[in-house]
Amino acid sequence: MSLRALWIVSNERGQNASVRFSRMFATVEHRAKILAGSSYVAVPEESIVLQLLLTELGLSDPNKSYVALRDDCLHHQRSPALELHINSPERGVLWPVLAISQGPLILACLPLVDAPAEPRPPLASLLSISQGLTFLAGVQSFLLGSGGKPDSEGLASRLAMLPSVLLQVCPLGTPLDVPLLGQPAAPAVPTSVGNQKLPAWKTGLHRGRAVVNVALIETVRSMQYGNQSRQDLWDVYVTLTLPPNGSPLQDILVHPCVTSLDSNILTSNSVDNYDGSAFSGPYKFPFSPPMEPFRLCSYTSQVPVPPILGSYHLREEKNQLHVSVTFKLHESVKNNFEYCEAHLPFFNRNQMGNVDVKVSSGQLDVSKEKNLLVWGLGQKFPKFREVTMEGTISFSGSTPGPSDPLCTELTAYIKLYFKVADMTLSGCCVDQHSVQVYSSAKPRIVTSRDLISKDYFIWNSTGSAPVSSGQIML
Amino acid sequence: HRAIMAANWVERISAFSCSPSRFLCGSTAEAFLAELLCELRQDRATYSVKVLLLSPLCEHPNLLCPTDSLGEETALELMSMFVQCPPKFVQFGCRLLLALTSVLVCSCCVSIHSRASQDFLDLLLQIAQDTSDLYSDGAVRPLRVTACDCLRELEACSPGLLSQRLELLSGLRQREPSHLHQAYTGLHTLVLRNAVYQLTQEPDAGAQHLKALLGGNTTVAWEAEQDLVPIDNKDSAVLSSLTLGPMGTVPTLQTGPDCKELRSILSSLLEESYLLTPLCQAALLHRLTEVVAMVPAVPPSVFRAQLLRLLGTSEVCLLHATLLMKCAFTDSLFSAEDEAFMLKRLVALSQHPLLGTPEKLFYMDCILHFPENRPIGCSDGDETLPVLLTPRLASAIVPTVFNDSATMLARLNLLSMVCLEEGEEGEEGKGIAYLYEHLTSLLHILENGGSREIVVTFFRAAFLFLFYFCHIERYASSLVGKLCNLYLCHTNLAPHLINLVDQTQDKLTESNWAVELLKALQGVITEAPFTKLTLHDLSWHLKMLARVAEEGQIPQHSTLRFLSGVITSSSSSLCASGNWRLGNGLLGVCCCLLVHPALDSLLIPLADILQHLTCHYRDTDIQDHARLYYAILTTLSREKIAGVNLNLYDAESCPGEANAAMEIFSIRLHFNLTDNHYEELSDISVPCLFRERPSPKVSLRLKPRRPYPTTLHASAIFTTQDGLSWLTVLPDIYVTFQQVFLSPPMSPAWGRNSKLSLFEGLWEEIHSGSGEDSSDYVTSLFCCQLKEAGLLALVKEHFLPFLISDLRAKEDFKVLLFLPPQSHVLLHIGSKEDAVHFDIATDNWHLLPHISSYLLTFQSTRGAAALH
Repeated sequence: MSLRALWIVSNERGQNASVRFSRMFATVEHRAKILAGSSYVAVPEESIVLQLLLTELGLSDPNKSYVALRDDCLHHQRSPALELHINSPERGVLWPVLAISQGPLILACLPLVDAPAEPRPPLASLLSISQGLTFLAGVQSFLLGSGGKPDSEGLASRLAMLPSVLLQVCPLGTPLDVPLLGQPAAPAVPTSVGNQKLPAWKTGLHRGRAVVNVALIETVRSMQYGNQSRQDLWDVYVTLTLPPNGSPLQDILVHPCVTSLDSNILTSNSVDNYDGSAFSGPYKFPFSPPMEPFRLCSYTSQVPVPPILGSYHLREEKNQLHVSVTFKLHESVKNNFEYCEAHLPFFNRNQMGNVDVKVSSGQLDVSKEKNLLVWGLGQKFPKFREVTMEGTISFSGSTPGPSDPLCTELTAYIKLYFKVADMTLSGCCVDQHSVQVYSSAKPRIVTSRDLISKDYFIWNSTGSAPVSSGQIML
Repeated sequence: HRAIMAANWVERISAFSCSPSRFLCGSTAEAFLAELLCELRQDRATYSVKVLLLSPLCEHPNLLCPTDSLGEETALELMSMFVQCPPKFVQFGCRLLLALTSVLVCSCCVSIHSRASQDFLDLLLQIAQDTSDLYSDGAVRPLRVTACDCLRELEACSPGLLSQRLELLSGLRQREPSHLHQAYTGLHTLVLRNAVYQLTQEPDAGAQHLKALLGGNTTVAWEAEQDLVPIDNKDSAVLSSLTLGPMGTVPTLQTGPDCKELRSILSSLLEESYLLTPLCQAALLHRLTEVVAMVPAVPPSVFRAQLLRLLGTSEVCLLHATLLMKCAFTDSLFSAEDEAFMLKRLVALSQHPLLGTPEKLFYMDCILHFPENRPIGCSDGDETLPVLLTPRLASAIVPTVFNDSATMLARLNLLSMVCLEEGEEGEEGKGIAYLYEHLTSLLHILENGGSREIVVTFFRAAFLFLFYFCHIERYASSLVGKLCNLYLCHTNLAPHLINLVDQTQDKLTESNWAVELLKALQGVITEAPFTKLTLHDLSWHLKMLARVAEEGQIPQHSTLRFLSGVITSSSSSLCASGNWRLGNGLLGVCCCLLVHPALDSLLIPLADILQHLTCHYRDTDIQDHARLYYAILTTLSREKIAGVNLNLYDAESCPGEANAAMEIFSIRLHFNLTDNHYEELSDISVPCLFRERPSPKVSLRLKPRRPYPTTLHASAIFTTQDGLSWLTVLPDIYVTFQQVFLSPPMSPAWGRNSKLSLFEGLWEEIHSGSGEDSSDYVTSLFCCQLKEAGLLALVKEHFLPFLISDLRAKEDFKVLLFLPPQSHVLLHIGSKEDAVHFDIATDNWHLLPHISSYLLTFQSTRGAAALH
């Protein structure tokens, strides 16, 4: 349940990879040596680890199309644990190296295998694996913040804080907690009142106005093919910060600060047959909140129709592309968007020349160098809840536009970006009056709910969509 | 000054941690340690620098303190620093404790219970018990946490170390009101687990012993405290987690039903478990799972109250700890409904939009190692499908082209297993059809020029598909066709295809798919019209055909036709271009064909190709190799060719040792003159080098313009089996003066008298200065001390081939040396009373210095001499 080493690597656009931070945990290494006996493989120096890590992640030699060590088809890329094949000073395989990468950063650690080394134990039997994953994810969000993209100065200052952060959360290689965002180093430590102990993760006292802010965000994904043989897909997943009472929620995952759960809440599952008899709320979550904003619970839900039904038809005629698009807003969806935009990219063609396209509502922006049409639908659909686009585009430019291996010939998509305030598709909501706070201070309760889109695709029905639906095949 | 010093240390410490070995090259570990300790002791450095100075001791204590005595000394120093550390530098104090732990553990002081480690343990326990900070501002509280962490690590490295303190630690945990209770809980749990393990190893231990241990009253149960021997931590078993589940054998402690004390401790720990961070909670649950597994008297149901909370968690480590719990207790804690729920949850989490890729991969791994309540058979760590994973359930994680590579491959692997299982039970499912369609979608992306990552992913997916389904003829042959088409459009995929062929051949030994693919590739390559063939494609085709030629089962006539066509066709300017790389590619194919089992039927066309290359390829290296192969082909027997090449393959198959075992086909020697006394030398090829035969001798034939000694520079060019050419410089070759000596061109029919008259005639001509080039004539005298026998030996040794007079005339020798192209040296050697006289006459006075230094070589061994 410990880590032998931790590395943080930056790899800007595949160039100039360097180790920005590393930490060896000597006492854990000492244990690793005893545990592994003759099959012990020492942790090499960081420059060697860097090279091996890049090779294993397929990032080394970006200009070479084939490198045997990197590209072997036998490589088990599907495991979360990498093998680093060391050649010098001694041959050996360093396993299991966990690595996560986001943007320019690669974070890696080597969990201790506290089981007999031969035969190699399954990952699932080593608690240090899930601990390593949790810890890496925590360090990642500490370094990159929730936005995921800090400037280089911000990153440098957080890296500089890491030694003192590790002193608290992982002093000797056994991770105790993930680094806390926002509030570094020794805050005032509360002690309990009476016999009630305080959670270890509540490291400070709240100062300021007593406000409970509950935000419910539903995210909708969709794949619409407009084709008989392909089943359209959509599902909803949600991050909410307090329980609703509404339609059945599935795959509920709760934050560890939730102290108890009703077994009915957990029964409904998206991967199973929904038999209609499932629990339908109310969902109650007693919890003791940590100091920082957190995700109390998440759920998925299956709704009968997509909020916006789209149809997309392309027709190639005489060096021109004839475009025809319709969007219908479902009647259950509030016709009041914070934003709603449709993006129509065209790949593997020359740059656009003449664009003769009319929209029934909203505004059309043409970006000729990107071969992209952006259709701003504004805040409202018209009364009859339907909008259309019709017209022709000629790709008569002399230079080639952007390319994409997926979208060749008539394979093309529209991607929708929208946000609707004060509504959810599942009907899930947080009852402001049911938020009970056991506190001497009377906090103000604020609740909100939003519906936003993510990966909302409408594929051209006259082209071959690049996927088929698994459900109907199996 | 301080700032400079600090910056200097920052640089040095970072250089050390970057590469300790390189850093210590410039210094010794001892010196560096002394420097660190000295700087830490003094007051020059700020505490933030001092914190930095401790990091080498924390991270690499075994480099700096390789022996226990050095560890002991260093620890004593650090402890005295700790005592003197002002209370306000808490961070430094904490790091001192960490450094002490690292040094003492890694130098094995802890395991041998050294004096310093005992003192340190006492110090830590003292800090852990000092709760005075609760009533002050809490500034030194981090010290208490760190002390607990250090104690936990010491216990982890030397299990049983704190067994006797169990009651103390339990009390500290229960009484701690601040959030520090987590540190005490972690420490207490580990010590409890190790103490119980320790008891399981005692043959007679039972309920009383356990009770005594928990009560801190060990002396009651044991007559002497020493009876409970600390576990030998050189034995790795004690450091391991217990292997829970059907494969594991858990040591047990028989206590009888009465286990009140242990139960109450367990329930108190579990009741407060939700107060811990997920990471600590997971560790706690796992340790307690081990304890309950070791003590059968405690029912697993102690965990029941926690289960719902754990099953609903969003934290990967908590769910994992729950899975391990299920592994240990199966249906004594988890009902069939729980089991079904957990599996569905794992499937849902494997594709949950909020989770990152590594977590999803981990959950898929957990599905394939799902701890079933009633496992069928004992899978020893291999991936197996849980019985409850129905195709319908698995359909939630079908691979799609929108997945990232790793997720897609993991899904493909899992779904393939599901389909395979289905296929065994009934009709060949739609599932496989879906997976094949998915594979072709990927292939389609490649055809449209996918990125390098997608290319690599496709070939991995193809291997996985073949791994499971290569026995299904329909898909196997369809894939062959699609790969051939792909190759024709993207010949640069040749290395990937060859890799796929190699791996399928190696891993799927029962399948002939790899050969089928190669045959088909040979077909599409050789049947395509030459007119469209670019040099770029040709170079990949040659690589591919070389691989095809390695297969004995595949007829090679079409390959030969192709090669022949490529080099002879009128549209091809290949031979004229003399492109070395392509030539090497051509030879690579030929080389493989030389060992093809059907070589007999290939003999003539192959010989024709090699001969054509020998004569027409405008690169001498290629020509020479072609000539060599031709020679091998036409002169050696089949068995011998196989022998030659087998050696080469051995060398190739282990690339690591390739350099050591390098086999060389032929060497081309090249010479450079250092002056213009000789004609230019042409290169010499040394063919057919065989390890087991004596190395061939090479004679150099020099043609002097002037018969002077000289030096030749020499180099060798050779080609190894991997097709690389190497150039190496050989030692210089010295041509001495005497190596230029020849006998004058005389008819062999001449008798001694005729030769003597020639000598006399020349002698007379030179002395009289009457010839055509008489300006070059010169005579001289060289003397040296020699006995009569010595003279005879000298003449025999050096001048016998050039001797004109009779050897028996022991006092008068006449020697005639011819130095090409047209110089002569005549020696009249005779013993006089004081010395041996060498009378010299030559028609080239330029030679005199060389004659002199040559004759002086006799002097060095035979005494004084003089040249007049």
